[in-house]
Amino acid sequence: MWMCLVFLKLELKRAYKKFPQMFAGAIALLFLAGAIALLAGRALYGDVAAGRIAVGVILPEDALAKQMVSMIRSLDSVKSMCDFQYVKQEEAVKKLQEGTLSAVMDMPEGLIQGIMDGSNPSVRILLPGNAWLESRIFQELTEAGAKILGASQAGIYAGNELYLASGQAERIPLMEKELNQIFLSYSLPREDYFRHQRVSATGDVEIPVFYGISVYVLFLMLMAIPVSGYLLPYRHGMRQKLTLAGANAPIRVLGRILGLGSLFFTMSLLMGLLGKGLAELAGSAKNGSGGIMGLVKDLGVEEIFGNSFAGGKGAAVLPWAGVCLLLLLVCLTAAAFVVFLYQAAGSLLGGIMLLFLAVTAQHFLAGGFLPEVFLPEALRKMVPVMPSAVLMGGVQMAVTKVWSKNAAARLFFLFLAGFLLSVFLESRESKKG
Amino acid sequence: MLKVTSLYKSYKNHKVLKDVSFTAGPGECVGIVGSNGCGKTTLLSILAGAARADKGSILFHGREAVGHPGVFAEEAAYVPQENPLMEELTVKDNLSLWYRGSRKRMEEDLESGAAAMLGIGDMLKKPVSTLSGGMKKRLSIACALSNHASVLILDEPGAALDLECKADIRRYLEEYKKQGGTILLTSHELLELSLCTVMYVLKSGSLLQAKTGLGEKELIELFT
Repeated sequence: MWMCLVFLKLELKRAYKKFPQMFAGAIALLFLAGAIALLAGRALYGDVAAGRIAVGVILPEDALAKQMVSMIRSLDSVKSMCDFQYVKQEEAVKKLQEGTLSAVMDMPEGLIQGIMDGSNPSVRILLPGNAWLESRIFQELTEAGAKILGASQAGIYAGNELYLASGQAERIPLMEKELNQIFLSYSLPREDYFRHQRVSATGDVEIPVFYGISVYVLFLMLMAIPVSGYLLPYRHGMRQKLTLAGANAPIRVLGRILGLGSLFFTMSLLMGLLGKGLAELAGSAKNGSGGIMGLVKDLGVEEIFGNSFAGGKGAAVLPWAGVCLLLLLVCLTAAAFVVFLYQAAGSLLGGIMLLFLAVTAQHFLAGGFLPEVFLPEALRKMVPVMPSAVLMGGVQMAVTKVWSKNAAARLFFLFLAGFLLSVFLESRESKKG
Repeated sequence: MLKVTSLYKSYKNHKVLKDVSFTAGPGECVGIVGSNGCGKTTLLSILAGAARADKGSILFHGREAVGHPGVFAEEAAYVPQENPLMEELTVKDNLSLWYRGSRKRMEEDLESGAAAMLGIGDMLKKPVSTLSGGMKKRLSIACALSNHASVLILDEPGAALDLECKADIRRYLEEYKKQGGTILLTSHELLELSLCTVMYVLKSGSLLQAKTGLGEKELIELFT
């Protein structure tokens, strides 16, 4: 028993000897990930400014049309993402081809008159052939808008037809007025609802926080690469001697998990402190200042670390100690998973390759890169059992400070699975002659 | 005193050891030779308690060790071919990992015991990764002998060491023998085998006694 305690103590000491390597590796990984993100951003967007959608408007010789465009422009939903420019027909096509406009609205003659008399002339929407993200968003918006408008108009026309068929045409204006009131009475509260309730693909946390958690979990596991030497399976002689001394397979695996888990935990605390520092700097940065502090704000560092390290905004169910324990459990669970991968690989290079491939692949399947709702139906069923999804659930609890029995149980089971599978592989190696 | 009777061991259908029996008394050095893969390491692992025999008896001073790990732990000091050391840690850390006894006793050993004879006291603070192969082997022996066992089991102690280190280790083994210890070793080197008072050849799973002081040619003939 005493020897086992000495062994565990020395395994921890051995792990911490690798801390500088892990720290240096984490910094290198950070730069690498940053460079990849930057290049990917450039490749995706090129020189086109992302974020707002530039829409060209071709106006007819009609004073009312411009008024109508102004009205549309002032709508909250449009104002929040679109910039309208008035252009001529030739100019519009040229700008679309150049990519300076994401879409063009060609307003027909007599649009207002058409709406009033029911002839409803169409607004032609021009989109570039190789549509960028902004164009696709605008296309989706216009299609959705057309569908909503179509549905509401169908209601009006159905009423018209009913009254005409029953010979009560004189009641149509009253019916239209009443239907308009009814539509308004439903649509306005709904609009109000959507202003206060946010539905997000990323679930209970906001998008920057979700990606913060996802990146943290991915980093946590990949941070094992610089300390691969520590994770190599024991040599035969060492294994024999440890068995003789009483440190059997479960104790040896526990030593590894504790060592790596405590390294992960220390790195997490350091990253947390760094994040908190950045969050404070970001908090004091002026709005729209750009540069690094702007980026920090954009990435949601303030929300992530400000929340978990500076008191939190949400329901504070978990106390500080609970958050720390939860984070420790996340780190130990990640360590159990990583130790299992190295045990399964059996060599340094094999371990690195397997860790990288398994971590990135299962992180994708866990909805770490693309949120779960965007994954194909078949893959979505696998999400709950992916280690990254389980770990992200644990980190989310720590960040939001909201306790979830289900997420905690899944975390514990993943730890247990990693531990038992590693013990199985370690025992199998011990039995080899 | 070590008495081994009718040891059997097989891996799946391959019989590695068949009815292996021998005895080794205090002050004796028993050498086990044989071609690569003949089962020497398996035999030593079983004698050290690191592997289990299918059948047979191992008595250390009349105490049955098979099925009693505590007897192996007290009576056998095993030095495997690969050094069982944590490379990142210091010599002292490694010594404390394997040491069986109080801190005071460890200090005494470093002053005047096996560890002192092997020159471990001078390198206590050095990380193992910075030690030479010979120093690591000396440390491995010192770690193994921390239980003050009467039987020292060495699997190719001189493998991959330079001549000076081999000579140092031989000197220590001579000293251990003189003090009444029993040594069991496997080796492919004649100089190391010259320490042996009894010699066995392991061939097709059986142990056959051979003369000591045989030359290279005669030994090779015995293997085939």
